[in-house]
Amino acid sequence: MNRRDFLKGLAAGSAALRFGPALLGGATSPQAAGPHLAVVEGESPAAITKEAIAVLGGMKRFVRKGDKVLIKPNIGWDRTPEMAACTNPEVVKALVELVQEAGAKSVTVIDNTTNQAKRCYVRSGILDAVRSTGAAMPYADETRVKKTALKGEWLKEWDILTDVLEADKIINVPIAKHHSLCRLTMGMKNWLGAIGGARNQLHQNLDRAMVDLTAFFKPTLTVLDAYRILVRNGPQGGRVSDTKLVKTVVAGVDPVAVDAMGATFFEIRPQELLYLKLAQERGLGTFELEKLRVEKRKI
Amino acid sequence: MSQAGFFGLFLVFFIGAHYTGQDYISSTVQRFFHFDPLLALVTLVAARLVYASFVFALITVVATVVLGRVFCGWVCPLGAVHQFSSFAFEKTKFLRPPREERASLAWKYYILIIVLAGALLGLDLAGYLDPFSFLTRSFALSVFPGLAYALSGLKSVFYALGITGTGRSISQLLENWTLNETFIQGFAVGILFLGAIALNARKERFWCRYLCPTGALLGLLSRWNVLKLRIDDEKCINCGLCTQHCETQANPYPREKWRSGECVYCETCAAICPTAAIGFTLNGAPEKLTNVSNVDLSRRRLLLTTFLGLVAVPFFRLTPSHKRASLKLIRPPGSLPEDKFLAKCVKCGQCMRACPTNGLQPALTEAGPEGIYTPMLVPKIGYCEYYCSLCTQVCPTGAIQKQTIEVKNKIKIGSAWVNKSRCIPYVLGKPCIVCEEHCPVSPKAIKLIEVETKLPDGKAVVQKAPVIDLELCTGCGICENKCPVVDDPAIFVTSVGETRSERNRLLLQVAGETGQATDPYK
Repeated sequence: MNRRDFLKGLAAGSAALRFGPALLGGATSPQAAGPHLAVVEGESPAAITKEAIAVLGGMKRFVRKGDKVLIKPNIGWDRTPEMAACTNPEVVKALVELVQEAGAKSVTVIDNTTNQAKRCYVRSGILDAVRSTGAAMPYADETRVKKTALKGEWLKEWDILTDVLEADKIINVPIAKHHSLCRLTMGMKNWLGAIGGARNQLHQNLDRAMVDLTAFFKPTLTVLDAYRILVRNGPQGGRVSDTKLVKTVVAGVDPVAVDAMGATFFEIRPQELLYLKLAQERGLGTFELEKLRVEKRKI
Repeated sequence: MSQAGFFGLFLVFFIGAHYTGQDYISSTVQRFFHFDPLLALVTLVAARLVYASFVFALITVVATVVLGRVFCGWVCPLGAVHQFSSFAFEKTKFLRPPREERASLAWKYYILIIVLAGALLGLDLAGYLDPFSFLTRSFALSVFPGLAYALSGLKSVFYALGITGTGRSISQLLENWTLNETFIQGFAVGILFLGAIALNARKERFWCRYLCPTGALLGLLSRWNVLKLRIDDEKCINCGLCTQHCETQANPYPREKWRSGECVYCETCAAICPTAAIGFTLNGAPEKLTNVSNVDLSRRRLLLTTFLGLVAVPFFRLTPSHKRASLKLIRPPGSLPEDKFLAKCVKCGQCMRACPTNGLQPALTEAGPEGIYTPMLVPKIGYCEYYCSLCTQVCPTGAIQKQTIEVKNKIKIGSAWVNKSRCIPYVLGKPCIVCEEHCPVSPKAIKLIEVETKLPDGKAVVQKAPVIDLELCTGCGICENKCPVVDDPAIFVTSVGETRSERNRLLLQVAGETGQATDPYK
């Protein structure tokens, strides 16, 4: 079973879980007993990540034995973790471990970085964290992309990382950051790191590009790292004073809901973010947090 | 053997000069250069600066005075290349003169004298023909880029054959070793290197024999060395093979004519001798072996070449770059002021090898004739990586002064400018902000303001557009590099405002103004 089939199954089998609140106004289904979003706060990035997945029902709910799993953190910048420009390495490592425990055949961690790839991989701390787990962490380059039909409303086709295309399950692990064009870069914006091509041209219609990419990638799971968020000078910051400790991880199946929850950490109402509105209109999820079952925990 | 070992060592150092995952390069990749007495001497004379690392050159000097040009024959990695290619070309007829000819060995001495005379007046020409500079530059700007290109080609072949695993390994290796592939003068540098190798087909070790100024300097030092050629008269059958095959025209037979200043101790003569009569011994010839057979340098020629070296200087200086800074000449961070920089840079290209973004490129006309091959940042090709100071760490002469990353981040190498007639928000009224997003300083040197643009249909659109805070801009060039207007970026960096120059300034630092007023978060 490949990722796409699985997703279809998931969409059919748990439509209520994914779109229920938006479409059915909170109607219950057998699976809907679980929370839509897990929001876990705590001192240890690894522990809150694992707890968040546990709240959602455990990694076995998302990853089957023998799956090829791709984990997509944000490793875009040549910055150390205390700058909050890249996903927290401990969050990434915790996810890799969970995926491996769930019986995945292989785990690949990749990002098409903005600064020199090696510098980003090393200084983000993610290469070191992932290496100890045995997961693969290749550099994205022009041999790892394939021109792919996206069937988006704005993006018809684009170069996509083959590692992502070939994966059975993809897990998006963004970090929550300020961005001067789309205001906040979280899960949906993170897909710009899973593609090749002239990405700098997407800014001319960034919100719609983000929606098209999110619709294409359909992540199995989105885990937003809000342990240390970047509140200004984004998306790469540069000083610790640009960051804020929130010590929280948000996990969920609905990519729109996860980003909507992330916006609240910046005191931004989700409906202010154009891409969330567009995504909800497209049926990719909901930003209306009040309609979702959100389980908050503190450990 | 020894030479092959040193060539290997050179390669290890050379490949090591990149981002290995550490901010600071632990092995001193530039150490080879410090054993080079020519570079030491010219740097000392031309820049009038003592650079402590060159103390290692004294080892070479002492070794040469005692043992002769063993450096050329056993250590020099370019010598190794020539030795090997001479061997490879042994049987070829290509380029071989129809009759045995013996060009004057004096050429390299004249080259040396021109270089030294120029150095007296502050002109650093050593780098063009110094073997270490020549080899490193050739490798950095053409051989390795060529190799990287070939590997890319190989990668595509593997992909075409469906062997993606191997193809991917190659591409990961290219990224891991940071093999830069693009150099403005890569072709010309490569042709010169191939030319230098091809000359070995005309004459073995052509470069070492006729051209190498470092060899000439060592030759002058080794006229009275104690490691002497010894021919066992009882075994010698006077066949003359040794002299015929001598790689550097040192003339081992007859022994009285042996040129100790030309011999590089390659021991080809000893190997070719049918009766094994030849050897080298310390003071093996205490009898009247004098230096009479060394290369004759006529006084007239010496004066002429000295004169040439001196008069060449003004011609090298007839360039506007000494009057006014060149806008494209963005020097690496930590570079000395231009005059000092030119006097110290030996054009080895090590900084261009180390640059992780391929942005450091050899200058052609930007720095005048004496600045050919000196490094400059070309942001369209690659930008200056914010947390990187590798180029400053690998410079063998201190033309680029070693910088910690913290200090390097405060150095301004130029200033960015917005070309409002090409910038997407200014002209098309569409959002962009790509330059602002990439600006690495905090707070950002690129600010966004709301700008109203009139579109062709007369309608007005308001869009966020970039403006630059020159107090904060370091000139790294990532904005120019990432600008989506690819052919002629709408934001670009020029050298004005560079920290190293007192003349190429823009903002006056007036007492009382800290220049940090724009930083509200401090």
